[in-house]
Amino acid sequence: MVLGELSRRLTSAMSALTGSNIIDEKLLDAVLKEICSALLESDVNVKLVGNLRKSVKQKVNLKDLPAGVNKKRIVQKTVVDELIKLVDPKVEAYKPVKGKTNVIMFVGLQGSGKTTSCTKLALFYQKQGFKSCLVCADTFRAGAFDQLKQNATKARIPFYGSYTETDPVRISKEGVDKFKKEKFEIIIVDTSGRHRQEKELFAEMVQIQQAVKPHQTIMVLDASIGQAAESQSKAFKESSNFGAIIITKMDGHAKGGGAISAVAVTQTPIVFIGTGEHMHELERFSAQPFISKLLGMGDIQGLMEH
Amino acid sequence: SFGFFKSFIGGKQISTESLQPALEKMREHLMKKNVAKGIADHLCESVEKILIDQKTGNFQTIKNKVRQTMQDSLRRILTPGSTIDVLREIRQVRRELRPFAISFVGVNGVGKSTNLSKVAFFLLQNKLKILIAACDTFRSGAVEQLRVHVSNLKELTEREGGRIELFDRGYGKDAATIAKDAVDFATKEDFDVVLIDTAGRRHSDQRLMGSLEKFASLAKPDLILMVAEALVGTDSVAQAQNFNNALGTNRRLDGFVISKCDTVGDMVGTMISMVADVYGSEETGR
Ligand SMILES: Nc1nc2c(ncn2[C@@H]2O[C@H](COP(=O)(O)OP(=O)(O)OP(=O)(O)O)[C@@H](O)[C@H]2O)c(=O)[nH]1
Ligand SMILES: Nc1nc2c(ncn2[C@@H]2O[C@H](COP(=O)(O)OP(=O)(O)OP(=O)(O)O)[C@@H](O)[C@H]2O)c(=O)[nH]1
Ligand SMILES: [Mg+2]
Ligand SMILES: [Mg+2]
Repeated sequence: MVLGELSRRLTSAMSALTGSNIIDEKLLDAVLKEICSALLESDVNVKLVGNLRKSVKQKVNLKDLPAGVNKKRIVQKTVVDELIKLVDPKVEAYKPVKGKTNVIMFVGLQGSGKTTSCTKLALFYQKQGFKSCLVCADTFRAGAFDQLKQNATKARIPFYGSYTETDPVRISKEGVDKFKKEKFEIIIVDTSGRHRQEKELFAEMVQIQQAVKPHQTIMVLDASIGQAAESQSKAFKESSNFGAIIITKMDGHAKGGGAISAVAVTQTPIVFIGTGEHMHELERFSAQPFISKLLGMGDIQGLMEH
Repeated sequence: SFGFFKSFIGGKQISTESLQPALEKMREHLMKKNVAKGIADHLCESVEKILIDQKTGNFQTIKNKVRQTMQDSLRRILTPGSTIDVLREIRQVRRELRPFAISFVGVNGVGKSTNLSKVAFFLLQNKLKILIAACDTFRSGAVEQLRVHVSNLKELTEREGGRIELFDRGYGKDAATIAKDAVDFATKEDFDVVLIDTAGRRHSDQRLMGSLEKFASLAKPDLILMVAEALVGTDSVAQAQNFNNALGTNRRLDGFVISKCDTVGDMVGTMISMVADVYGSEETGR
């Protein structure tokens, strides 16, 4: 399972609670220390981890708990609630509608896996019966159009792009207009990699967005990203207001905590994960299995209703 | 007056307990700057070992001591044990009537091809004759990406001298063989340097990592540089270790190129994580 390693660590940290009769400040600190270590080793943002620790301690407030309450359950529930907050923004992502044009624009940092994931997603929808196509609005990176063209050709997906046009706004508009006329249902727009430190690159992203008016903007994040995930994703959110996240390279060794932090910071759900370099290596993501596993910790489903 | 102050507050033995608050702050600071947790723990432990049983005074003084000791440790880690003077090494190898070969390895999308082109730019400014070997025969557009760079760089050679060509065999072929052919070609055609691009690979993929050893033994690069991005988190440590080990028992990485430093602001911890764990590796900067 995705995030399997992380949930295994978390579950084992929580098991200290089940094994112990006396729930005191010392035990709580020890459990929290283990949980925080697991999160930090997975690249979850340091500030978020710090907040989680503080928030659990405050909410549990052991010393003011009246005698007779089940301290163990209160601690478990509080911890689980806080962990779920990390991965589940409780927001629904846009769902493409058949028989209609759905424009999807990809944004993200350099090399995160946008172009690869664009083709994967087009293929995914094509297999679901959507008439899909690709537009290359990356006029910056050397060989970007060739890359998209070769991928699209292999996947037999119509594409649009240019070797000579240097304005990504114009090219994306041309491509989307053309495919709209041809009644394509899924039009995916690939853009150049960019980062928050370059204001003009962000301005360009906004201009492309204004030109193609996407129904959904997706931010692509590399599973191995570290502490920069928070500030970069926040900045992308502020400029592009993306509505979904794809985490790529989950086939690697990285645990994806940086990308999870992006979920928490931007309150945006992960919709797919990339699990390899090949075209079919894309999986739908739902936070539910991860959450179920967390809920399984200490068997507290019954407490989750409220 | 400083002496008076010192004697007033100083003179206490540093104990493990008195160190903890400052070490804890330091550990968190390092992690916020994107140093991997394991490395941050290790660095703090070694600072603790150095400081324990030394004499000092109140909390402020301990904080300063921790900071000073950490600074020294980091400086030591980041100072290469040997330096690479590429231009001199190229001249030396050219006396053997063969080209100097540099290859770039690393995980997917970190900036191998881009940094290879940046190095080509630097070498061209030194009027050298460069052959770029397109040995990423897997990723779509990888060959064309290099072709665009070569054609842009050719304009530079018209102004400033030097020479640059692309050596490619398209897609799907064996990378190690192409690399070897490129080096042979460069020897015949009197190129000074061969820059070998390779496909990105997951460091946990046995098959792809295994092919690196064959690559190193066939192409015999004089310099193997690992490209890693400043964006990467705790995975940096395993990346460096696994690439270093994949080259076989007779070959190590010669250095790191840390890319995308412009995207992380002051969160430059990756540099420390990469080098702190790999004995004998050098930090070459970007
Ligand atoms: N292992 C693995 N590699 C991936 C995955 N997704 C993408 N890649 C690889 O990551 C590298 C970068 O992918 P691209 O799709 O070119 O990334 P990009 O975001 O379009 O890059 P720029 O356009 O330069 O910003 C390529 O080598 C891809 O093959 C994945 O899920 N797993
Ligand atoms: N901001 C920034 N972007 C960079 C830097 N180096 C490379 N890039 C960008 O990162 C993306 C990937 O670069 P490539 O050189 O294609 O990376 P690669 O390692 O060859 O990728 P694969 O061959 O797909 O594994 C491109 O968009 C580059 O422009 C850098 O130092 N800073
Ligand atoms: Mg791209
Ligand atoms: Mg490359």
